[in-house]
Amino acid sequence: MSSSSVTNPSAADETLRAQIFQRLHPRVYLERFIAENIRPDGRTFDEWRSVSVNAGSISTADGSALVRMGDTTIVCGVKAEIAEPELDRPEQGFLVPNIDLPAICSPKFKPGPPTEEAQVLSDRLNEALIASGALPLSSLCIHPGKAVWTLYVDCTCINYDGNAFDAALLAMLGALRNTTLPKATYNEETGRTTCSRQTRSPLQITRNFTSTSFGVLDTSHVLSDPTAFEEPLMDVTLTVIVDDRGDLISTTESGGAILEETLLRCINRAKERALQLKG
Amino acid sequence: MAQSANDRRRINGPEESFPPVFDDDDEDIKLKTQRSRAPGDIRPIFLQPGLISQANGSAYIETEKTKIACAVYGPRQSKTTTYSEKGRLNVEVKFTPFSCTRRRAPMRDAEDRSIGVSIHQAIVSSIRLELFPKSTIDVFITIIENDGIEGCIASGSLAASTALADAGIEMLGLVASCSAAIVGDDIQLDPSEAEARASSGTLILACMPALDSITSIWQSGQMSADLSLKCMEQCHERCIDIHSIVAQSLL
Repeated sequence: MSSSSVTNPSAADETLRAQIFQRLHPRVYLERFIAENIRPDGRTFDEWRSVSVNAGSISTADGSALVRMGDTTIVCGVKAEIAEPELDRPEQGFLVPNIDLPAICSPKFKPGPPTEEAQVLSDRLNEALIASGALPLSSLCIHPGKAVWTLYVDCTCINYDGNAFDAALLAMLGALRNTTLPKATYNEETGRTTCSRQTRSPLQITRNFTSTSFGVLDTSHVLSDPTAFEEPLMDVTLTVIVDDRGDLISTTESGGAILEETLLRCINRAKERALQLKG
Repeated sequence: MAQSANDRRRINGPEESFPPVFDDDDEDIKLKTQRSRAPGDIRPIFLQPGLISQANGSAYIETEKTKIACAVYGPRQSKTTTYSEKGRLNVEVKFTPFSCTRRRAPMRDAEDRSIGVSIHQAIVSSIRLELFPKSTIDVFITIIENDGIEGCIASGSLAASTALADAGIEMLGLVASCSAAIVGDDIQLDPSEAEARASSGTLILACMPALDSITSIWQSGQMSADLSLKCMEQCHERCIDIHSIVAQSLL
């Protein structure tokens, strides 16, 4: 006489119970995994999700890139327009990066104006691009004091599964590398600029850099590339931007205090990661 | 194009900037309107459900130069407190700034809303809303690349219907949609932006081939009554083919 069918719950029941537990007690759920040195999606603490970049698929944009970092999907497009330069910077063009986190990408975003998260991301991306000097703005000049290129770099998140900053920065750089500008001539007499469809030239990107994000749990567990489930549970989030020569461009840390050795360890891992992605 | 008043929430560029003017613009237009396909041929459709993991259901559709992503969230609780016996369907359309030849401001304007209304009209009668009282089904559509508004509405309706099926929401049938343009006395199916602009009138038809019923017809421009009836018949036939593509992608 076997009573095994009564005592063993079916696999579907167990999955359902695990999902309910995940919803009701997310932090305890994560800690149970951390205790076994693994993460809910099966990665080790140091592992990054696979990254794929697809450039140049959008014909209406002057340059575009689609980045998938695990499930996080971000599409970035560059549109070039012509404007008058600022009076005190007559030879500099404009670079306007923006990221949009619309309601389509996650249930936690509602339709409407950009949320705080989107605004903060846009600002951080702007700082990273401008401060690093990857694209010298003087290369966007058509005629000093009269006409310069304005590059609108717009990112839209299609699927938000954590770590939008890294993916967005990768997408923006990929789109800028893919961008070609038509040859523009400024007519002094009429004050108009006309462009030629035949000749297009790429942008001069001087530096190449990658960003790596980490989340720190209980000051000792450092998880790299957190997913949307892990992100809100982290005590501290840390982002390191390193260029392809191994030089540090920026480090951002928010949420609480971390040990100096953790910071140094993360910087070193970010450098390794930059080399890994370059290859 | 002047910057929008939404300045405070986004990084801003210069106050005014203009799209580049090309010196060979006039010649180019004549080349673009020559159609390379037969008048009755539609462009090949690539339809992939389940791409957006965060949503209850999703679909991505690509037809040559039109790329649309659609996500369905729901049924979830309605924000309003008024009791409604039937569920609500909310369709929101968003263009990415780089989707059109001229950069679009990120704000939603009248065009987005009118496309949202057309798609809502096309799919609402196929969903069994009476099973979801007090709930809302949200359909979010992002147009990544745009090749004509007619193509957007037709592909958007297909994507929305596939996403709803992917979400497991009970429906009466799948909605298939096809657009057409009238050039002189010819009917050209699935027009691109240049073809639609050169035409005298356009028509978009959405129907449920499984139930042999039409859910929405959107016609604009000039066409005689006979021609518009012929146009509807041709679109209807094509919708039956499109329906099998949609059903195949969901398997």
